[in-house]
Amino acid sequence: MKLLPTICPACNSQLKAKSLICEQCQTEIQGEYELPILTRLSPENQLFILEFIKSSGSLKEMARLLRMSYPTVRNRLDEIIKRLKQAENTEENNGREKL
Amino acid sequence: MNENNNLIKTTSGRSVSQWLFNPFRFVAGYKALLLGLGIMLISAFIGSLGNTHFDGVLDVHTGMEAPLWYFFAEGVIDWLSLAVPLFFFGLILSSSSLRMIDVFGTQALARWPYLITSIAMLPDANRRFGVYLMARFTTGNSLAVNFTDMVVFGFAIVISTIMAIWMVALMYRAYAVSCNIKGAKAIITFIVSIIGAEALSKSLILLLLQ
Repeated sequence: MKLLPTICPACNSQLKAKSLICEQCQTEIQGEYELPILTRLSPENQLFILEFIKSSGSLKEMARLLRMSYPTVRNRLDEIIKRLKQAENTEENNGREKL
Repeated sequence: MNENNNLIKTTSGRSVSQWLFNPFRFVAGYKALLLGLGIMLISAFIGSLGNTHFDGVLDVHTGMEAPLWYFFAEGVIDWLSLAVPLFFFGLILSSSSLRMIDVFGTQALARWPYLITSIAMLPDANRRFGVYLMARFTTGNSLAVNFTDMVVFGFAIVISTIMAIWMVALMYRAYAVSCNIKGAKAIITFIVSIIGAEALSKSLILLLLQ
């Protein structure tokens, strides 16, 4: 499957979705849609979050599943949280600039 | 699910160099603590056979005969002298919610290269060459030197030096992983801790001797 691009290759700005299509009936919707903040994470980090939720948010369970140590898994989660906060801040700043 | 886990694991890496220089990605907590204490006990036992004392966080010396508990106590003092300040630095500087068991467990396991040092120091040739050196430098008496003793001693010194460097690298990685501290902040606090721990452990071991 192709990776969803989220950053503009020309100016490095955040991309938005302009068109959505139904695979069943080919109905196409045009508009300007914000991409969910989680899509800004790397595919590996998105999978990590998915597995973390499926593990009921248990770092111990994640460490067991991934065969990594508890602090390694916790550090990775902290890194993802940091990136999400940065993405949120960038989004807020962009919103303010537009106003 | 398995595919997903494989993808996450692949990106995490699990190479030989990771096992050698950062095993704490895979082992921490109680597992690391039990392994570390077990290895410390074995090192103390082998050390007691060759009278090899770990009388400071980084120190290795051959010396007096002592009961097994004394050799083990030296190892425990060395371990705690460093683990305690690192834990406090972690509490102050880390933005992560760190666990005490990870800091103490990984620091205990980080001392494992000194097991190899205790083996390298085991041959009696080390003690004999040590006596020769002491006589040479303190009294000026030139005893007859045994060439084999000199080679064995030289080999033990090289191994001990490599193991000390490796152990310090492991201690640093243990600190960085268990407290989630990186960069200059991690390096400076680690250096401060290791210098303080060296002085503290030396003093405590001297007290133990008295």
